[in-house]
Amino acid sequence: MNKFEAVILYNPDLSNLIITKEEEAFNSTIEKSSGIIINKEEWGLKNLSYKINNYKKAFYKYYQIEINGTQVQDLKKNLTQNEKVLRHLFVKVNEHQTLPTKMVNNEEK
Amino acid sequence: MKKSRNNYKPREDRKNSPFEERKRFCPFSQINSPVIDYKDLKLLSRYISEKGKITPSRITNVSSKKQKQLSQAIKRARFLSLMSYTHKIFI
Repeated sequence: MNKFEAVILYNPDLSNLIITKEEEAFNSTIEKSSGIIINKEEWGLKNLSYKINNYKKAFYKYYQIEINGTQVQDLKKNLTQNEKVLRHLFVKVNEHQTLPTKMVNNEEK
Repeated sequence: MKKSRNNYKPREDRKNSPFEERKRFCPFSQINSPVIDYKDLKLLSRYISEKGKITPSRITNVSSKKQKQLSQAIKRARFLSLMSYTHKIFI
């Protein structure tokens, strides 16, 4: 088991209902591949600094996951095939950071 | 170039001299220095130019080990569209 950070950008046109459904689907796929979600954070609707697929905004979601490295490839494959996901990033870390992250702190100031 | 022993002055005399070479340190290798992270945009934006380019370590004096981590973090932030490829965004 290794520790990963994941950031996922969702389509801004989706309603809240569909986004929660997408979240549940992501959670279930992680559970199927015997992973654990340790923490998650919502950065909300943010302005993109350049257009992605002609969208100017996106929903940001941040996860802290513990999962086998080989399973991450399947997760990535699922996300790339999903049209509602604009972009995603997985980063392997040695230790998870304590929440809240710098992203949230900066906005408050 | 070696400095000759005759030019040596005590520290107090050298302190205000404009020709004194002050030793510069890597801003990320000190005890209380910040951790490099792709989510910390305020920190990263200090190390890019007006055009959004990564500033070379010979200007910012970041050690080569930390410069690699820094550039990786900036590239991750760019990929997630938190940071622009072409210009600097002031927070």
